[in-house]
Amino acid sequence: MKVVAVFINLIYFLLLAPFLEGVMRKLTAWIQSRKGPPLYQPYLDLLKLLGKENLNSGGNWAYSLAPVLSFSSMLAAIALIPLTGQANILAHSSDLMTLIYFLTLSGFCLLVGALASGNPFAAVGASREMMTTVMLEPVLAMLLILGTVRVGSFSLTAAVSGVAVSRGVSYFLMLVVYLLALQAFVARQPFDIAEAEVEILEGPYMEYSGPNYALLRYTLNLKRMFYAWLLISSFLSFILPANFFLSLLLQTVLIIVVFVLISLIGATHPRFRIDQALKYYALLLILALIAVGCAVKGW
Amino acid sequence: MSRKDKLLNLLKDELKGNFLAASSLEESRLFIDIKKEALVETASQLMKEGARYQMGVGYEAKKKGGGLAMVHTFAFDADSLLVAIRALTAEDEPEFDSLTPFIPGAGWSEREYIDLLGLHFKNHPNPKRLVLSDDWPEGIYPLRQEVPYDLMPPSAEEVAFRLDEAPPGSSIIPFGPFHACLHEPAHFAVYVDGEEIKGCEYRGFMVHRGIEKLAATELTYNEIPFVAERICGICGSVHSVNYAQAVEAASGLKIPRRAEFIRTVMLEIERLHSHLMWLGVAGHLIGFDTVFMQAWRIREKIMWLAESLTGNRKTYGLVIVGGVRRDIDLTKAELIKKTLAEVEKDVQALEKAIINDRSIHRRTKGVGYLSREKAKEWNLVGPVARARGLDIDARRDHPYAAYDEVKFEVVVADSGDVWGTLVVRIKEIYEAIRIIHQCLEKLASRLQGSPLAIEIEDPIPAGQQGLSVVEAPRGEAVHYVLTGDDNRPERWRVRAPTYPNLQAVPDMLLNNKLADFPIIVGSIDPCISCTDRVAVIDRRSASGRILSRQELEKLSREMRSKT
Repeated sequence: MKVVAVFINLIYFLLLAPFLEGVMRKLTAWIQSRKGPPLYQPYLDLLKLLGKENLNSGGNWAYSLAPVLSFSSMLAAIALIPLTGQANILAHSSDLMTLIYFLTLSGFCLLVGALASGNPFAAVGASREMMTTVMLEPVLAMLLILGTVRVGSFSLTAAVSGVAVSRGVSYFLMLVVYLLALQAFVARQPFDIAEAEVEILEGPYMEYSGPNYALLRYTLNLKRMFYAWLLISSFLSFILPANFFLSLLLQTVLIIVVFVLISLIGATHPRFRIDQALKYYALLLILALIAVGCAVKGW
Repeated sequence: MSRKDKLLNLLKDELKGNFLAASSLEESRLFIDIKKEALVETASQLMKEGARYQMGVGYEAKKKGGGLAMVHTFAFDADSLLVAIRALTAEDEPEFDSLTPFIPGAGWSEREYIDLLGLHFKNHPNPKRLVLSDDWPEGIYPLRQEVPYDLMPPSAEEVAFRLDEAPPGSSIIPFGPFHACLHEPAHFAVYVDGEEIKGCEYRGFMVHRGIEKLAATELTYNEIPFVAERICGICGSVHSVNYAQAVEAASGLKIPRRAEFIRTVMLEIERLHSHLMWLGVAGHLIGFDTVFMQAWRIREKIMWLAESLTGNRKTYGLVIVGGVRRDIDLTKAELIKKTLAEVEKDVQALEKAIINDRSIHRRTKGVGYLSREKAKEWNLVGPVARARGLDIDARRDHPYAAYDEVKFEVVVADSGDVWGTLVVRIKEIYEAIRIIHQCLEKLASRLQGSPLAIEIEDPIPAGQQGLSVVEAPRGEAVHYVLTGDDNRPERWRVRAPTYPNLQAVPDMLLNNKLADFPIIVGSIDPCISCTDRVAVIDRRSASGRILSRQELEKLSREMRSKT
């Protein structure tokens, strides 16, 4: 069962992630008085891209390898997670640091690809992405450390479920921080700064085409779903039923609800500038530190 | 004594023998001929008197040995007066003194005629190529009489515009020739230090269509309005009305009052669609697509309205010299009123959402700031100028069509930034609706059944000058017409509002963030087609062959590996 759980993780994420993009697009369209594409459109987009030609405009191996590495690192991160609160076989050889490592690696590969493309817009996008990562990864780390402090274990399963063990000051503070950071984690307006179509023409993604671009889009979809999943399974772990299928069903519903929230915020905000966003991230980071401090005190 | 007479006396006294002649068909226009030695003196005298520089017009006289002429036009907004000064030079000595050192806004007007007429401007600070394509051969000046309108010199390889060096410590981000935030081809080489803009160079004029030359060689008076309308896909009627007014002024034609009201209605309907369109684009440029979609949803009603009035969503084909071609009867008036009521309600809802949105404030307040003094120095026009505290509006200052009979408010803001422009343009939507209602009322009550256009029986006399302004949605557009023989103007010059406004963009960009580039450039609502019109024969594209996909790929790879 513990081996099968790894595959369930992967299949669950790979199947659901494009659908969630469809939900976002549909909702955004409704808010904008449009009809919007059908919910399954992102699957078709990915399929279409997979059938197209890979152009190596960077002219080097780093450029063409980056999407595969980014995608596989994201899959590796997803394979580790305790989907319904149960540890799988990989839990023996990994902890929360492994998870953070793979997530960072995935983003890092995208940066390498962007810089290797030699495009000035991609370079601006990469530098924005880098600043965002530097400010936001610690916020994610703080969340998991909060769980670790509560249960006194570095295991990923413990850290995730530890967040909601007791719901005191630190729990609510961290919940606020996470909700405020959510839009930035999933890189939607007002925080789609690194892509910013009208400014830097999708930034890091600009030069990519065909299957490589499909992989990067898929990675982004998986990343978004991961952050929505983390919100549910850490802060709301106490409402998930013990039954595996019921738990999975409830989680799916809740993840869709989170995406509804993301779409609403995204459709009602203009994009921030990177300097405005960095100030905002700094505030989040300080609040996250305070939350961990409270957790250490046992509040 | 009126302002016009005072000016005339002053110039006569100052210039003495250099003053040649003056003519004035209407109270609000003054055309002066001077010797070319007195050009700088006259212009500085006019600027001292509080004039606003509008544009330069260069042409080669059709008569053999007529020489080359340079006309500069100035506006006295408080006195409803437009002044044009004209100087001639012999063909073998094509040199004038440059006005640019003390009127920066004259820079492009002069560079244009370096390219097109082969003129020289003494003391011009930056006489770089402006209009012609980079592979256009030296020594062929398209606006000269001997050059045919359809001349296509062979294209040359390996030529490129030489951009200035970026200042030390900064790198260049190329916005253009095609970029998602520019809706037409234009090239801004933006110098950035990190994310901060340290300067920029502009290379435009890539969408020449040879309209002015075509008008001077091939078209007739009443064909031009339909070509003029195609100068711009957004403010087409502005140009056809403006051209017609310039010809009417030059030939002393008086058109029926009903036609003037109908022109006013269509100009304001066009303003409604343009303002809503800009509002949407502005939203898109700061990453707020919901504003974009909602503004364009409202705009769509205006487009349908225009289609039921004229048969077209855009390019109404309404205006001819001497009047208009289509009536607005009572049924159409009812339709307009009904649509405007809906639009007004929708715009109010949208306005409420925008004005109170703090994140929009964050992206627009203090962005693209230019002081009132700078705005004046660059001769900014339209909402861009009014957002910087300059209280100018051609509709009020130089009334044309039926604007002398309608009441409206000129909206002015003093924040000097993109936010100010946004507020001005939203408020102007309501003013436009007010104007249309007043026009409809007057059309219905006292102008029923009068003719729509006059018959022009006598030929239009040659050698007359006409100058006309129209407040386009983006600002004042100016047309100059010199009547000619063969039932066509000898010279017709168009100056779109983007022409002065775009020249000030590098100043607006300075020390802003790279992320603000789209909205700053977008705030002037640049219409590249309007600005680039002019007089030239098709660019390389017309004579170039079509590359196959393989060739194109190969070419782009080679280009890449070279850089």
